[in-house]
Formats: sequence, structure tokens, C-alpha cells
Amino acid sequence: MAGKVLEVSGIRKRFDDIQAVAGVSFSIDHGETYGLLGPNGAGKTTAISMIAGLRRPDAGEIIVLGQPMTPTSREPKAAVGLVPQDLAIYPDLTARENLRFFGRLYSMERVELNRRVDEVLEVIGLTDRADDRADEFSGGMKRRLNIGVGLLHRPQLLILDEPTVGVDPQSRNAILESVEYLSGEGHAVLYTTHYMEEAERLCDRVAIIDQGEIKAEGTRRELVRRVGENDRVRIQTTGSSARAISRLEDLPGVVNALSGDGSIELIVEDASAVLAEALGIVAEVGTSVAAVTVDEPDLEAVFLHVTGKALRD
Amino acid sequence: MGVVLIVAAKDLAQRARDRSIFIIGIVAPLALAFIFNLVFGGGLSDVGENITLDMGVVDADRGPISDAFVGILSEIESDGLIDLTTYDDEAAARAAVDGGDVGAVFVLDAGLSDDIQAGSDGVIEVVGDVDAPTTTQIASAIAEQFAVGVRRGTAGALASSLAGVIGPEDIAAAAAEATTAEPALRIGAVPAATRQLDASTYFVAGLSVFFLFFIAGLAVTSMLDERREGTLARLLAAPISPGSVVAGKSLTSVVIGLVAMTVLVIASTFLMGATWGPLPGVALLVSAVVLAVIAIMTSVGALAKTPEQAGNLQSIVAVTMAMLGGTFVPISGGGFLERLSLITPNAWFLRGLGDMAGGDVSDAVPAAIVLLGMAVVGGGLGLLLIRRTVRL
Repeated sequence: MAGKVLEVSGIRKRFDDIQAVAGVSFSIDHGETYGLLGPNGAGKTTAISMIAGLRRPDAGEIIVLGQPMTPTSREPKAAVGLVPQDLAIYPDLTARENLRFFGRLYSMERVELNRRVDEVLEVIGLTDRADDRADEFSGGMKRRLNIGVGLLHRPQLLILDEPTVGVDPQSRNAILESVEYLSGEGHAVLYTTHYMEEAERLCDRVAIIDQGEIKAEGTRRELVRRVGENDRVRIQTTGSSARAISRLEDLPGVVNALSGDGSIELIVEDASAVLAEALGIVAEVGTSVAAVTVDEPDLEAVFLHVTGKALRD
Repeated sequence: MGVVLIVAAKDLAQRARDRSIFIIGIVAPLALAFIFNLVFGGGLSDVGENITLDMGVVDADRGPISDAFVGILSEIESDGLIDLTTYDDEAAARAAVDGGDVGAVFVLDAGLSDDIQAGSDGVIEVVGDVDAPTTTQIASAIAEQFAVGVRRGTAGALASSLAGVIGPEDIAAAAAEATTAEPALRIGAVPAATRQLDASTYFVAGLSVFFLFFIAGLAVTSMLDERREGTLARLLAAPISPGSVVAGKSLTSVVIGLVAMTVLVIASTFLMGATWGPLPGVALLVSAVVLAVIAIMTSVGALAKTPEQAGNLQSIVAVTMAMLGGTFVPISGGGFLERLSLITPNAWFLRGLGDMAGGDVSDAVPAAIVLLGMAVVGGGLGLLLIRRTVRL
């Protein structure tokens, strides 16, 4: 499918003395999961509220499927599914009633709506609780229903604003699986989080946002490379590694090769790309391998590098 | 229109599960009206449909002044406003009051005329039944009115006497003439609503509007609840206009208000004997007052930032309007307070019902027009103000 699902160009938003969003730009392709990774107060939710058409930016432009998104836009809004950070469901309505109500706001026909409600209940694992009131649900179930409402009308862009905040590990995993499922279904997803591991697991590309600005953007690999961090491969050996070192140093992708006490340490650009060949060289020189450890720099390290502070500060 | 109905249907489903709406809209007004009717009903029932007040008089004076006063009472009786019974002595009169035969009696002591003619104070005693406060109040008003007339007449006669125009013997006649110049005007000043609505109808109608204020307030508090609960963000993210959300919530209040008022009209008619008047006129007034109250409460509630603030503001307005509008105590006298009451939909609703009590539906139209005017003005203001509420 041609064109971008979402194009955000230099959006800005100020609340009194606080510049909540200070010139954010990015775009999302069809089927892509894009992460906004940043600490609380970084400007993620404000950016989301403008992208979803809830607020008008002070400056900049938001284009959804080629059409500008504003608080009065109809078609762009119909293409977006929003899962707000706070629960946005009616506690005194059942799961099915919640889904049906919001589905009707998107002009879904009755037959299609009923079918889609059943599908979504299945996806979020609430089929057997469909006719129970939401206020009888656990926190995780409410979160799942919150997500279900957002994807009911098959949005081309699904926006999830920190959907796992305050959720137990089991429900959190279920939510992450749901997002992976949606991504597999071809939805474009904009996912905000301050959990580095979620961004790494779910997102094709990540933008690190802090103080209302995107500090860095790209795939995890690109971000890691941009900040000069490399993978570390530690090979525990039972014999001499001296012969292997010289050959390993010449291996493409290897930045450095060090021989230690019964071990070889490789600094590589991409461990997954060189690991097999490196182990082959070690074997060829007659050194036995006892164990292999791979350390990949994570987004926490990247965040620390680009912002000068830890993600959870 | 589709979205308006969708929002209204959702809100109605929620309200139907929230039993407080039945309590605030139907049970509470009925219960309070029933209690008010028990407590105050005797006081207003004696000025009920025929406005015939049972009064008595004891004329131990039998002089020119007392003759003039009894003459005035006879004229009022001939107008059908009071039913006058004459008693031979004060003991018999008091026994009649205690027995509930009359609501109030006038006691004209022996020597009353002589005292007044001599320039001394004369006393007309009014003995009232505690269970007939309105009759007693009106009897006192008649006596006061007469006293004012006597004072004027006496003063005028004395002045004329000093000038040598008339003699002292003419003072009593002058006093009687002066009093008849101003018949008991206070009876005429009793407001139409009180004059024409029976106690049950009056209190049920008044309390219905009072509780309607709280039902009407739900439109705005519901909007503020949506904002606090986070669902407003989801509504605003949908491809619908914010105005349709407001309209849907207002429609919910209109429906609940109309249902509650209808139930109250029917229930009070059969359970409490309330007489609301011709059905088309009642329907017109009920519809108009529902719209007016919702419009007013939307404007008031839109000033608030939280449901609690809105609730407090709306409660203040509801109680103020009820008091000014004569819901708890009928406003009478034709003074500033009665004119002030006309800013309230409560007063106009009661006035409309009272005007229509004669059976002519068209008599309800002026009040209905005023109420609809309030709805238009209040609604316009409310729409302007509530735009802030439907933003994040």
C-alpha cells in the first residue's frame, strides 16, 4: 500500500509556561509498529492527543492517510483507533455494550458490528465475560477491554498510549501479545511507553523522546550503532585461544578481539551476524568452546547516551 | 441525529441502572409532596378550590364601629370569599375554633366603638385555629385593614371637628365610610397560584420542578464525569461532532425529565387527589418547564470544572429558584419578592397551572411562552459555555 499512514511534521504544544511538545516529526508506514519511548512527562501523551485529533497543535501538521488531522476532522479520525493511557470504558456497561456503543459511533452497520464485537472479544480474551459489567473486571481485563474498543472498527492506525501501566505481569504479557497480533494483521501501530523492553519487543522503529523533543529515532540496531555501542560476545574456551584471535580480528563486523584467561571477547557490530562464523573459526583452530555469552546494548543504554539520564529517572 | 440518539440511548441505559434517578425524579418528589401536604395541607386546603374561608364574629360592642366592621365582613361573605358565622359570646366562638368549625373568629369587645370615638385605642381580637394558618392570616389582614381605615377616618373626623365642619357624633360614621373605601384588599392580593391550586397540586407541582433541576443537572455532570473517567477523550477521538454528544446528553435529561414529570402528574392525581387541569395545557407547561430547567442548569453546570463543583452550583441554583419561585412557601403580596419570583421557571410553571385552573387551556400559553423563552436564552448561553467542557 503506497504512502504513509501517519506523517507528523514539527508539531508543537505549549501549556502556559510549559513547552510540552517542541517540534516533533516522524512518520509511520503501513504495517509498521512505531514506538515513542520516553520517561513520564516527556510529552508522549500530549503528542498522542494531537495526533488523535483531541487537541490542535500550536504549530506543525499531522497528516493521516493524506488528510490533515484536526479536532474537527471526520475521515482521519475514522481511520484512527485510540487506546488512551487512562481507562476509557464505561464501568456500568458490559464489555459487549461498551464495544457496541463505541462501534456505533464509527457508523458500523449492525451485522458487521455484532460480528466484529465477537471477534474483538475473542482477541482480547473476554468472550466468556462479554456480558459482565466492566466494573466487575480485574485491572488487566479492563485494560484489555480498553484496547478492544480501540481496535473494534479496524483502524488503519492504532494508537496505544502506555497501555500496560499499572498492569500485572500476566495481563501485561497478554496485552503485548495482542499488540503483536495486531501488527501481524497489518495495522500500523503507534505505541508509547517508558518500558524499554516493550519498545524493544514490539517496535520496528523507536523514537526516543524527552522534554518534548525526539532525541533519536530508528531501529534498535540503528540507534545502538548511532551512539557507538557494540555487541559483546564472550566465548569460554578450554584451550589456547591465541591462534583464533588473529583470524577473528580480520572477520568483517568484528571491531576488536581480545584474549583473556580461558576466554575470547569479541566487540562486534552485530552479534547475530558474526556469531556463527566466529564459532567456526574457533573450532577450526582446535579450541573447544565451553560456553558463549552475547551482550547486546539495549535502549536503556541508548537513552542514557542521548539524554544523559536513565529512562526511569 | 444518529449520534445524538446513540449517546442518549447509552446514557439512558446507564441511568436506568443507576437507581438514584428513580429516587430523585419520582420517589423523592412524591414523598416530599405527600409530607408537605400532611404538614401544611390544612393551611392551604382552607383556601382551596372555592376559596371559602370559615370565619366567625362575636359582636359584644354593637356600636357604630363594630356595625361597620360586621358590615364589611358581610360584604366579603356576599362575594363568596368567606363563610361568616355569628356567635353570641367569646366562649362559644373559641369553642367553634377549637372544634374546627371555623378557621378564625373576630372578637369585638363591648365598648369598642366608644373607645374609638373617644380617641382611645380599640382592639379587634382575632382568634385563629393553628390548623388553619392561612385563614387566620387573612382574618388578621382584614382586621388590620379595617384598623387602618378607622385610624384614617378618625383622624379625618377629628380634624374636621376641630375645624368646626362636623360634630363629634359624626366621627363613627366617618370612620365607617373610610373603612368601606378600602375593602379587604389583601384577599385579592393572594397570588393566583395559591388561590386556584389546591394544596396537593401546588406542592407536587412545585416540588416536581425543584427535583427537575437535579435531573436536568445530570446532562452537564454526566459530561464532566466523562471527562474525569477518560471516556470523553474517546468520544472526541471518534468521527463525531462534540455538539452531538452535548445534544445526546441533553436529550437524555429531557426524556428523564418528561417521564418523571408525567409519572408525578399521574401518581399525584390518583394518590393525592391533585388537580392539574386540562391535559393538553399540562403537557404544554410540563414540556416547557423541562426545557427551561435543562437549559438553565446546562448554563450553570458549564461554569464548573468538576462534577462536584457542578453538583454544588446546581444545588444552590435549584434551592434558590425553588425558594424564590414559591415552591416551599407561596409568595404573595404583589411586592418585590413576587416580582422577583418571575425570574424563576418554578413560579411561571405554578402560575401557568393556576391560570389554567379555570379549565381554559389557552390560559396556560403565556406562562408556557415565558418558559420556552427561558429555554431559548438559557440554552443559547449553555451552548456557548459548555464548549469549554467538551474540550480536553
